[in-house]
Amino acid sequence: MPTKPKPVEGEKKVFMTGNEVVAWAAAAAGAECMYGYPITPQNEIMHYWTRLAPKFGLIFLQTEDELSAGFTMLGGVLAGRKSFTATAGPGNTLMQEPLSMAEMMRLPAVVVIQQRGGPSTGQVVYSQQEVTLTSLGGNGEGLRVVYSTSSHQDLYDYTIKAFNTAWRYRFPTFLLGDGYQGKMREPVVMYDPEVRGVELVPAEPYVGRPGTPGVDRPPAHLRNAYSIEEELYEAVMELVREYEKVAPEIVEHEAFGVDGARVVAVAHGVVFRAVKGVVRELRQQGVPVGYFRPITLRPFPADALRRVAATGVRLLVVESAYGQLARLVKEALSGLPAEVHGLYKPGVLVGQGEIATRIKTLVQGG
Amino acid sequence: MARPVKILLAGEGGQGVQAVAEIIAEAAYEKGREALYIPNFGIEQRGGVSLAFVQVGDEPIGPPRFETADLAIALSDRAVVRSRPYVGPETTFIYDSSIGTNHLPQGVARLVAVPAIEVSKKELHPRVFNVMILGAVIGLTGVITVEEAKEAIERRLGHRFEKDPALRELNHRAVERGVELVKGKL
Repeated sequence: MPTKPKPVEGEKKVFMTGNEVVAWAAAAAGAECMYGYPITPQNEIMHYWTRLAPKFGLIFLQTEDELSAGFTMLGGVLAGRKSFTATAGPGNTLMQEPLSMAEMMRLPAVVVIQQRGGPSTGQVVYSQQEVTLTSLGGNGEGLRVVYSTSSHQDLYDYTIKAFNTAWRYRFPTFLLGDGYQGKMREPVVMYDPEVRGVELVPAEPYVGRPGTPGVDRPPAHLRNAYSIEEELYEAVMELVREYEKVAPEIVEHEAFGVDGARVVAVAHGVVFRAVKGVVRELRQQGVPVGYFRPITLRPFPADALRRVAATGVRLLVVESAYGQLARLVKEALSGLPAEVHGLYKPGVLVGQGEIATRIKTLVQGG
Repeated sequence: MARPVKILLAGEGGQGVQAVAEIIAEAAYEKGREALYIPNFGIEQRGGVSLAFVQVGDEPIGPPRFETADLAIALSDRAVVRSRPYVGPETTFIYDSSIGTNHLPQGVARLVAVPAIEVSKKELHPRVFNVMILGAVIGLTGVITVEEAKEAIERRLGHRFEKDPALRELNHRAVERGVELVKGKL
């Protein structure tokens, strides 16, 4: 039998949309099945996946809605296939039900979110208003991983990483992008993970394994329903303990200029791109300002941010939402006398001029 | 820090501004520069004004949309209105001569009318109107060369030129004519 061709051989630099990058990265990460329901601005992930599918022996199923997309994806996962889906906005709302089951059953899965404006249908273009939903959605404890990307290189790198995180730790893993990232074109280096020494975590079936359950092998015991409160309590506490144990291995952030800073701007996603440019320029002018970017929104890099805040800086949270990132920041800083200010523009990109003005005012004590 | 050149293209759906934006960004990328292009996209499937944001520079580009364009090109009345939020004192604002002057932005660095629609109709062909606009952007910014633009057009339309070599000639003339149109306007 001829060996299956690899979707990405070696390394190559390309110029394409973010949605296309995600499709290639998922294929390079060894994803085999995509289940999905169309919604702007993530549609092209599905489109490009269906183009790659016949070439590389991949599977695609369009379902009747996002609930079904999420559950069929988990069916693929149970059968031992690396499966994923992509959605946005109201689709993300529906997706929380199946992903809640994944949390309860401790199943891996990868979900790509290209945020659009809300509430409800909102707009189809861009926002950062799905932070709370993606990090803490579902009727549970938010036992999932959320990577927030800010460039096409992130989309490629963290799509690959999301599959490994999901299958290594068996918690559902989200890649949180947005419509701008999905639709814009910029350069990105695509690579075969093997070339970079990234080992892909293999998938195994959770049900239908050979042998008689209880005789030849332990039975697959995947529950999402319990009879009594105490029983569920034990199960949830076990999940929480497992999550808290692995969280330090997963959590990621990047920071710049925080030592000696009077103001530290906190941002994620494409807003971080705006903040990064402003902060670096102001630093060159001698303004004591730094930035802090949580890469994982869940688990949140609380310890790292607490160390920054403990130096007595003023924090400025900048986001295209009305305080959703700020809520995570404030929870992380609980008990510290840190000043948290906000520059909130729900559903629109925050301008660099506006960010610079606000930072300067805060530096001067205003 | 070297800032990227920020270009806003605005036109009616069908005028081909997205194709122009894509060609510029891709050609700049091909020559090893940093480039970012994003279309505006809303809920409507067709009609309306189409905006394209292009940035070309030598360092990784910041946010995908900018506040103020260095060069803004508006190709219809409605496109002029839609472009205005992205225009400032440093902006060179180019508009087609056929557009009424009522809504033109005030206080920009330069306000330049070019007879692009007329010239494309009379001298070339309306289908290469956007290619002439591409030439105008090149003439005004130098973000890519005429040769690089021709190569980029070849990558997109080469398969059609094979069947109809006259079409290649028409496209090349349109780029060059676009450059000519803005000569001496800066």
